[in-house]
Amino acid sequence: MSDTPHEVHESRILRTELLWAFGVGIFVAASLSMIVFTALTLNVNPPSNVERIDPKTLHLSGEFAEQNLGTTVFGDGTVIVRAIATQFMFVPQCIAVPANRRVTLRFASPDVIHGLLITGTNVNTMVVPGFVAQVHTEFTRTGDLLMPCHEFCGQGHSEMWATVQVLPVDLFKPGPDGRVSCAKR
Amino acid sequence: MQSDESSAADSKLEVADEVDETALASVMRTVPLGAAVLAGATVALLVLGYLLIYTLVFIPRGTVG
Amino acid sequence: MGESPVRNAERLCLAHFWVAFGAFLFACVLGAWQMWVRSPLGAKIGTPGDYFMSVTAHGVSMAYVLTTFFIMGFGYFVAVTALNRPLPGWIWAWGAFWMGILGVVLALISIGSGQASVLFTFYPPLTASVWFYIGLVLVVAASWVWCVLMLVAMHAWKVDNPGRPVPLAMFATVANAVMWLWTTVGVAVELLFQVIPASLGLVQTIDVGMSRTLFSWTLHAIVYFWLIPAYIAFYTLAPRAAGGRLYSDTMGRLTFILFLIYSLPVGMHHLLMDPEHGNGTKFIQVLLTAFVAAPTLLTIFTITASLEIAGRLRGGRGLFGWIAALPWERPMVLAIGLAFVMLGFGGFGGIINMAYGMNAMVHNTSWVTAHFHLIFGGSVVIMYFAIAYEIWPRLTGRDHLSLAPLRIQLWLWFIGMMVMTLPWHWLGLQGQWRRVANFNYADPIIAAWGPWVVVSLAGGIILLISALLFIRNLVALHRSDVRAIAKPLYALAVHPPRRVPAALNGFGLWNVLVLVLMILAYGFPIAQFVIEPSPAAIVHRVR
Repeated sequence: MSDTPHEVHESRILRTELLWAFGVGIFVAASLSMIVFTALTLNVNPPSNVERIDPKTLHLSGEFAEQNLGTTVFGDGTVIVRAIATQFMFVPQCIAVPANRRVTLRFASPDVIHGLLITGTNVNTMVVPGFVAQVHTEFTRTGDLLMPCHEFCGQGHSEMWATVQVLPVDLFKPGPDGRVSCAKR
Repeated sequence: MQSDESSAADSKLEVADEVDETALASVMRTVPLGAAVLAGATVALLVLGYLLIYTLVFIPRGTVG
Repeated sequence: MGESPVRNAERLCLAHFWVAFGAFLFACVLGAWQMWVRSPLGAKIGTPGDYFMSVTAHGVSMAYVLTTFFIMGFGYFVAVTALNRPLPGWIWAWGAFWMGILGVVLALISIGSGQASVLFTFYPPLTASVWFYIGLVLVVAASWVWCVLMLVAMHAWKVDNPGRPVPLAMFATVANAVMWLWTTVGVAVELLFQVIPASLGLVQTIDVGMSRTLFSWTLHAIVYFWLIPAYIAFYTLAPRAAGGRLYSDTMGRLTFILFLIYSLPVGMHHLLMDPEHGNGTKFIQVLLTAFVAAPTLLTIFTITASLEIAGRLRGGRGLFGWIAALPWERPMVLAIGLAFVMLGFGGFGGIINMAYGMNAMVHNTSWVTAHFHLIFGGSVVIMYFAIAYEIWPRLTGRDHLSLAPLRIQLWLWFIGMMVMTLPWHWLGLQGQWRRVANFNYADPIIAAWGPWVVVSLAGGIILLISALLFIRNLVALHRSDVRAIAKPLYALAVHPPRRVPAALNGFGLWNVLVLVLMILAYGFPIAQFVIEPSPAAIVHRVR
């Protein structure tokens, strides 16, 4: 008993679809593997630090009190930037960072959802009230970069941005308290 | 719309179309070769574009985590 | 006795479509204005207040009104024509329609009065007038009535047709309805338990970690809710329009099932840059997102093969000769060709967006704006046009006087969309960010973007012209003297199935799988905020 042409067609159709699905599956698996590989080896991850903070009191004391904002170099050499995103400015409005050195950037919001990116880099994070946003990176090129607020936060959103000065090692000089401010231009 | 005109809902469930079964059988000997090549080439281009952006734009902008 | 239920279905469908397309035209005008005022050419025009009011209205009209009303209207049409029976509960359908209208009116009035400039994504703690949210809730509630009617219609047909496969167009429509019911839970909980109480002043603070997570639940599957009608056209309308057959009915069913299960548990890929979730959760969602790429990739093959059948039947020879042999003068065929090109570009943007760490390169830049305008505004909406052109004669009894204006309108939409969105991809990579009323073109970094913004604006104007032509084409049809000849609509498969397994004819099994996947993907992320709420943020009223 032989297959009718009808049935021969149908099994062939299913076979071609399975073949295509197999190829598609390989593509999906390959992309995922690359993502996993680079996450593990090159440390390419989305922001992953989950840390809570009270938006109503963060400006009063602790890490995000006004006197602690900006760039600080600690005794062991780590560079930490702290900034607040609020309606409608970043505090401080100019941030100095060193080139070719690991920098940790930490942000918090006392009011609504903001977000930021730094042009020409992969620094990109949402700033959600209730949580500290943290990004580690290394700036590879010197110069002035734009750091806008990229999430709608109200009527003044379009005017909300900061400048990031990436300073070469000879210009990045911490003061006695470890603080570094933007160079006067 | 006039009441004596046929309504959209009057169309039958599976009405035969103009496709001739013999012609279909003959055409089905080649299909889906063209589709496989066209769709396959498109997906290959997408994969290539993905890899290019990843290596030439994203990674040079610095590790981030 | 009154008119037959069947006549009523045509008026029901047309009512929904006209509301949808009316909102669409309104939103296109707003969109073109927005593009002008944020370009170097319109830098002195309009206040931020005007701009964000417009963006809110544009987003609500396109994302909630055009889509929901079109999908409801098309669903009623499919339920009546594919199942060949009157719509059950048409009084409920009309009730839902008017409830939806009330919702739209409430939302638009509150937006227009400046009390709801929170954008269509309304991120709390920004809080608008309660009427805005009530309006949206009414539209969603209307769509839930539609979902129930779709389920009832399919069930009634199955009872009368035991063992027969549900026609693919209806199977897909019901898959869409089931998916919509699942996905609206997120935004409904957010609105009913968090945002509306805040808007009424019943609470002064809000848990933003929770609200963002709940909204993300809805945020991805909603775009597949919009997309599935276009895929219904790919699978069940385009093959017959091209003069061919659907390559595989089985793959069609599988595609819609895969959309149902994989479009829901992936919403947090919109939160990859968020600080309230960690790597593990984000990675699971990226993994599931990779799976939801599968039904689209399968569709590309199946539909291209279906078109290849049509092309070869018309005499196309060789590896690609069948492409030129296709009847491109038919609007449905032209639309699907243009839709697939835009799907290629839009899909490319999408796989970059979802690529875990690489999302940092594009998040909240114009790249994202480009992606969703291209894939939704482009591939999906062009198929909405094609569906309208195809079924309007059946709804009105009149036919198009000429197909040329239809083709011109479709080409203009394609050209406008490509010209508008391609520069946005480039600008996004340069760091141009989103939702800006006016750019400071004096800044050297931003000044370099100016010319591309103007190119993009030109695309937007072409789109507006196309939108006007679309409305004109439909109005002309209502006035046309040409009688519509009754002809069959739905495509046959190469092998029309006589029986399909229960799993491909219903959703019982798949609902269980959706539940499992949602618990896996969203269980902990939501539970963590129930167990220990995030530090609360103060409600910010928008005035």
